[in-house]
Amino acid sequence: MKKVLANFNKVFESHVRLGIMSVLTVNKTMDFTGLREALSVTDGNLASHLRALEDAGYIITEKSFINRKPNTKYTITGAGLENFMSHIRALEELINKQ
Amino acid sequence: MNQSDQHLEDIKVIRKIMEESSRFLSLSGLSGIVAGFIAIAGAVVAKLIIEKNSPVAEWYSNPFSIDHEGRKMLILLLADMAAVLILALAGAVLFSSRKAKMNGLSAWTPVTRRMLASLILPLLTGGLFILFTMTFVPAYVTVASTMIFYGLAVISAGKFTFGEIHWLGVLEIAAGLICLLLPSRSVLIWAVGFGAIHLVYGLFMHLRYKG
Repeated sequence: MKKVLANFNKVFESHVRLGIMSVLTVNKTMDFTGLREALSVTDGNLASHLRALEDAGYIITEKSFINRKPNTKYTITGAGLENFMSHIRALEELINKQ
Repeated sequence: MNQSDQHLEDIKVIRKIMEESSRFLSLSGLSGIVAGFIAIAGAVVAKLIIEKNSPVAEWYSNPFSIDHEGRKMLILLLADMAAVLILALAGAVLFSSRKAKMNGLSAWTPVTRRMLASLILPLLTGGLFILFTMTFVPAYVTVASTMIFYGLAVISAGKFTFGEIHWLGVLEIAAGLICLLLPSRSVLIWAVGFGAIHLVYGLFMHLRYKG
């Protein structure tokens, strides 16, 4: 049980963060609008969760301009993918233990 | 909600978002049924056009001709095909945006764009291939090519929508190859390929995914 809880990641204790990681696991990159549409959350809410995940080193942000409009793309990092997968495994183990 | 329920809820959210963000789930089965009916009507019209305008009985073993005699038939057939394509596409757009709205999803997403991009490349290749070769390959080869390229396009786009659509693509390719072996039956095979197969596929998907 201790080992399972070690993989249970506090950073992912939010459905928005789980959602962001889910989208970035199955899509190579996704821009801000794409994430907002996929998760149906407000700009401010999404931005603060994205910042938390970036601070944890789980995603990277890439800012650029498309037709002079700012465009921000997000990509999952190796560490992010690894931690997210262990988190899913931990969730599954906790469910199966019941 | 106890802890375990919370974890189960988390897993459900993860699964749902992974699926929704990687697949176009608004593709409506109804659009397949409608496309099937339109294609069958189009094939009946094509048969009438050929019977009335073809200068020779074995039209399928000659290339589509652009000389005076053949031109009329070719123009009528192309108009018929264009009508089938436009009506079927309009049906797909209409029923899929309706399904998206009913499920509270957005129909125009990055996944939709990716799906369309992977559909258009093989489809455009096929269209140009047919355009460049139709005046010197036998007509049945042209008919078969429409199904083969369409099948390849469907398989390519299928990665971004329901898995079952892969089999629609495989069946279209099979119909195209059979058409190459049975030249005199090409209109009938086309009616089965674009008509009956879409109808059955659309009905199956409509019942299975309710929409």
